[in-house]
Amino acid sequence: MTWISKSITTLGGLLLAHACYSAREHSALQSLRAASAASLTSLPSVTTSLPLDIIIETIVATFIILLGLVLGTRPLRPIEWRVWAGKIEREGEEGFIDGAGEVNKDYMGNPFSALESRPNFVDIRKQRREFAEWVKKGG
Amino acid sequence: MPSELELQISPIVQESLVHNSRTLQNLQSLTASLFGVSAGILGLESYDGFLFYLAFSLLTSALFYLVRVAPSSLTAGPRYFRGPFEFWAGGLMNGLAGFILTWTLFYGLVRA
Repeated sequence: MTWISKSITTLGGLLLAHACYSAREHSALQSLRAASAASLTSLPSVTTSLPLDIIIETIVATFIILLGLVLGTRPLRPIEWRVWAGKIEREGEEGFIDGAGEVNKDYMGNPFSALESRPNFVDIRKQRREFAEWVKKGG
Repeated sequence: MPSELELQISPIVQESLVHNSRTLQNLQSLTASLFGVSAGILGLESYDGFLFYLAFSLLTSALFYLVRVAPSSLTAGPRYFRGPFEFWAGGLMNGLAGFILTWTLFYGLVRA
């Protein structure tokens, strides 16, 4: 997911840089033409606005960068406690992976894990069986 | 605004709220300076520039809504923000300073 957003953003950045350079050249040409016209004739020089293709390129480049940045944002988390805790119960760490494929640093773990590991809930017979098998194997 | 009783019945996770609004804020302050760059290239002046900023900020929010919020939240799914006002208008003032900074910078660079 991240490489898509990064490549889209880079493409838009190239377009925007090209549009910026074109606008700069256009304004430089305008001022040069105005200066030469003033020295040759006494006609008032007309300054034209930015050409349509540069305007379109700028807006399209802005939109493309915007799209790339939005695609690169981190996934949101539910704010209601019951939805959030249910998501943790169902998905565990997989629900809190960011774009780079790592678990978020502020992931706190299951809020109910303390309840699950209370001593009253330990299956002592199962542990005894496992221990007996381990002894039988001669461990 | 939810009442205290509602908050008692369905509590809200503060960490998730902070995470969500920070994600949106990061996006908005990043894109605001980008809009300043394009407004400077286009050579917008006075009200045009602010209208440009307003339109593109709303477009940013709409795109964010489309990509991150809508797919899971439309069919009675989880909520991600406190209310619609916080989502749509909360970040408009956030990026304005960065917008004006890059707007004036690029206006001066292109038309110097």
